[in-house]
Amino acid sequence: MISCTEFIPAYSAFFVFLEKTGGYAAVTDFWDYLSDTYLNNLRDLVLRKGLSGCYEYWSQALNEEAADFVMQLDQESGLFRIEMRHCPSKGMLQQTSHIQAYPRYCAHCDRIYRRVLEPLGYTYTIDLTQTEQACCVLTVKTQISHPAQREKAPKSLWERPVKEQESG
Amino acid sequence: MAQLRMERQAKDNNYLHKDFHKALNRALIYLEERHGCEAVTAYLEEFANSFYAPLRLALLERGLDALRDHFQRVYAQEGGDVTITRDKEADRLSIRVHSCPAVSHIRAGGDPVSGLFALTHSVINASLCQNTPYRAELIDYQPSDGACLQVFARKEHP
Repeated sequence: MISCTEFIPAYSAFFVFLEKTGGYAAVTDFWDYLSDTYLNNLRDLVLRKGLSGCYEYWSQALNEEAADFVMQLDQESGLFRIEMRHCPSKGMLQQTSHIQAYPRYCAHCDRIYRRVLEPLGYTYTIDLTQTEQACCVLTVKTQISHPAQREKAPKSLWERPVKEQESG
Repeated sequence: MAQLRMERQAKDNNYLHKDFHKALNRALIYLEERHGCEAVTAYLEEFANSFYAPLRLALLERGLDALRDHFQRVYAQEGGDVTITRDKEADRLSIRVHSCPAVSHIRAGGDPVSGLFALTHSVINASLCQNTPYRAELIDYQPSDGACLQVFARKEHP
């Protein structure tokens, strides 16, 4: 049996295998399939509870994955945010030096969650510029149509850069 | 309107996300549907040859005690209902899985289990034994709950 604690290297190896077989398009095709079949629990939670569903979904996942993170939900501003200070998956791939990790590994988090959340009316962004440090920032926003709401949101905590929040 | 904040460090939790079994299961289903059983076998061989290379080395150095320690740790983490027996005289390791934690978790979530899920035992175990004095055998695999008997033994002692 492949333990669930060994899944991340298996997942990375799967991406490598697919890319060898059919290029990057084969990898993204699988990510779309996985999003459609594996993330039904996230989809159902967000459909029923809105952004609170994101909070509930990632509360379980990130705790079970023993991640180092700060997660925030502000329903008034329509914002959900995860600051991943150390991604256990990326960290494991970096530490497991005897395997060749899939170089675009972190891109799956952009693809599979976006595919769930955008059709439900949310704006999904993920900053993957710091993945070499196993860090990223994921944001889900309720799409804002009312001017009063739009004015509120940019001033909020969510729009500030990560470094500013850490120091301030 | 709720404002919620959660902050955790890695040391606050144990690393055990069983839904990863579901994701691997989906990967096997996907690969079989698009590329067939041979591709699933090839993928698992590639993964095992790379990821378990240190374990294979330990098997060469320490014999079946290395695999016993590995599987004891894995099934203890997963909460598996298994009986692991190391027969030193016969140089044999038997892992009786009464109920597979991976299959149980996948089924509990209502997902279909890949018809090739047994390969996660047979192909991986065979890869572990490649270029060693040992062989692996998967006996009486039950797709309903993943119950099975996995045997590792010296090639000259079938």
